[in-house]
Amino acid sequence: MSSPRAETPGANRRLMARRREAGLLLLGLPALLLLALVFAWPVLRLLSLSVEGGTLAHFEKAALDGLYVTVLLDSLRIAALVTAICLALAYPVAFWLSRAGRLGLALGMFALLLPFWTSVLVRTYAWMVLLGRNGIVNRMLRDAGWIEAPLPLLHNTTGVLIGMVHVLLPYMVLPIYAALLRVDPDLSRAAEGLGAPAWRSFLRVTFPLSLPGVSAGCALVFVLSLGFFITPALLGGGHVIMISMLIEQQVREFLEWPFAAALSTVLLLATLAIYALIGRLTRGARLATP
Amino acid sequence: MPVITRRGLLQASGLIVPSLAAPAYAQGAPPSKPDRIVVNASGGAMANFLRRAYFADFEREHGIRVIDTSPVDFGKLRAMVNSGNPEWTVTEIGGQDADRAREMNLVEPIDTSIVDLSKYPAIGRQSHIFVGSAYSTVLGFRSDVFKDGSHPKGWAEFWDVARFPGARSLRNHPVDNLEFALLADGVPMDKLYPLDMDRAFRKLDQIRPHIAVWWSTGAQPAQMLVDKEVVLATGWNGRFFELAKKNAPVGSEFRGGSLKSSAWGIPRGTRHAYWGQKFLQTMTNPKLQAIYATELSYAGLHPDTVNYVAEELRPLLPTAPANLAQQFWLDVAWWTENGARAQERWNRWMLQRG
Repeated sequence: MSSPRAETPGANRRLMARRREAGLLLLGLPALLLLALVFAWPVLRLLSLSVEGGTLAHFEKAALDGLYVTVLLDSLRIAALVTAICLALAYPVAFWLSRAGRLGLALGMFALLLPFWTSVLVRTYAWMVLLGRNGIVNRMLRDAGWIEAPLPLLHNTTGVLIGMVHVLLPYMVLPIYAALLRVDPDLSRAAEGLGAPAWRSFLRVTFPLSLPGVSAGCALVFVLSLGFFITPALLGGGHVIMISMLIEQQVREFLEWPFAAALSTVLLLATLAIYALIGRLTRGARLATP
Repeated sequence: MPVITRRGLLQASGLIVPSLAAPAYAQGAPPSKPDRIVVNASGGAMANFLRRAYFADFEREHGIRVIDTSPVDFGKLRAMVNSGNPEWTVTEIGGQDADRAREMNLVEPIDTSIVDLSKYPAIGRQSHIFVGSAYSTVLGFRSDVFKDGSHPKGWAEFWDVARFPGARSLRNHPVDNLEFALLADGVPMDKLYPLDMDRAFRKLDQIRPHIAVWWSTGAQPAQMLVDKEVVLATGWNGRFFELAKKNAPVGSEFRGGSLKSSAWGIPRGTRHAYWGQKFLQTMTNPKLQAIYATELSYAGLHPDTVNYVAEELRPLLPTAPANLAQQFWLDVAWWTENGARAQERWNRWMLQRG
């Protein structure tokens, strides 16, 4: 940030800043209106559907019936696991991408975004071919003599985690990469100039400054994980049940839209709560670092 | 010279009133041709065969293009009809939803002056639903593991893991499975309904440890048998038929199979309902039904259809007389009434780990 210039009076500057802000807001207005119309409004309609007839019976069922609570907790657990694995895998990739040369960046981005161009269903079936009892992975391990019986990689939580991490990884890499690009390389050079070893300059300077990206990536991956149902249905072999599958069942199969709306509301509230928590944790972490 | 009286005028206009209330096309001349109609069905390979059997013929006869969409989605059908402008001219409806579609007033009545059902068996003559074909959930097996007819015949043997060892797969859904469990437990086919859920779930408890995969899409059981992920699986007979035609080592056993009819309807309020009825009429043609059955094994209900199918394929049709006798018709009414309750119990049962 540059220091205020002496010849510009403070009041004038504030006015200009405010005008610019208003102008920017105007630019964002069409998008905001669109969101309000096609997102906020349907969500409100959904919420109102859940209390149709002025009764909280649907929420009562969602909260008191052990089935839905168990499945919701399970879904949160899976989403948290997926987020943690994505973070662990994505950070080094993002770090490398932010430091890579032009060729490395192009290749890395290509590899990262390639799966985006393939449908989730196709990718899920590809994992089934790879991870099955007689799949490519197990066959290779067996031929190498490393295992005797096939590893249970598919039709369980492991399979679901692998499939979901694969789909969601780019959503973690890109925000962290963007945050790392914004970190001024002079800062870590300064830290090293002051005698900090590389790991320390990373931990105390680069990493804290990339936390907004980490937080954005975690929030994205977590929220998207909660909405998954095709991947867990296929790769979980029925052994993994996500709340989104139960919502889908209520909507599509039983046309119990009020109850589905209640379940969605509970999911939405849980998501918002966790979103707030992630925000607070990363903000706290940033403040704690000098 | 006739005298025009007030009463005469009223009578004359009285004659006109009913015909105004009837759909426009009932007045004689067919309504003008749209350039296209939209037929919604299950997609996948089925879409190709529908095109070859029915769409192509309809397009040739009427000069109206048939656009196909998928998948079959009851929630979407309801939303479309409620919106007042359904995109689909004709849609397939999941077997269990057929009764509900009529009860919830989501489909137009079948106009039997256009759709000729006079030769159809009773199960195919419904007021609002056209039965496109019959299919069955049957027992699929690896024919290299269970050689020369040594495979389990019926559900009691499917449950017998000592005599027929190996990983199995069942659908992640109570439909069919409750019936199969009861048949395995010795309930005769004609005494299945109303289903004894307690007994069915008790029987399912026995097989659960041997179910490696609870499948959720129709492609899965066929794929898993081919990959040898499992050696026994339930599945829709058409999927196994496809494998048999490709000479894959997968066989299917019709004994105890669960017959269902594929239902078609015209979404209420759709713009080209008349051409929807015409399309259904095309689907009643036994020669076209035979083309479809030859490709997919899902035979239409016209009694002449089987005669147009090659003789060696007839044993693989769920509607072949010998197969029909060994299977039961799924009681759609029972499932419409108890489906939600059964599903909730199923979810709960699936959650009990073990």
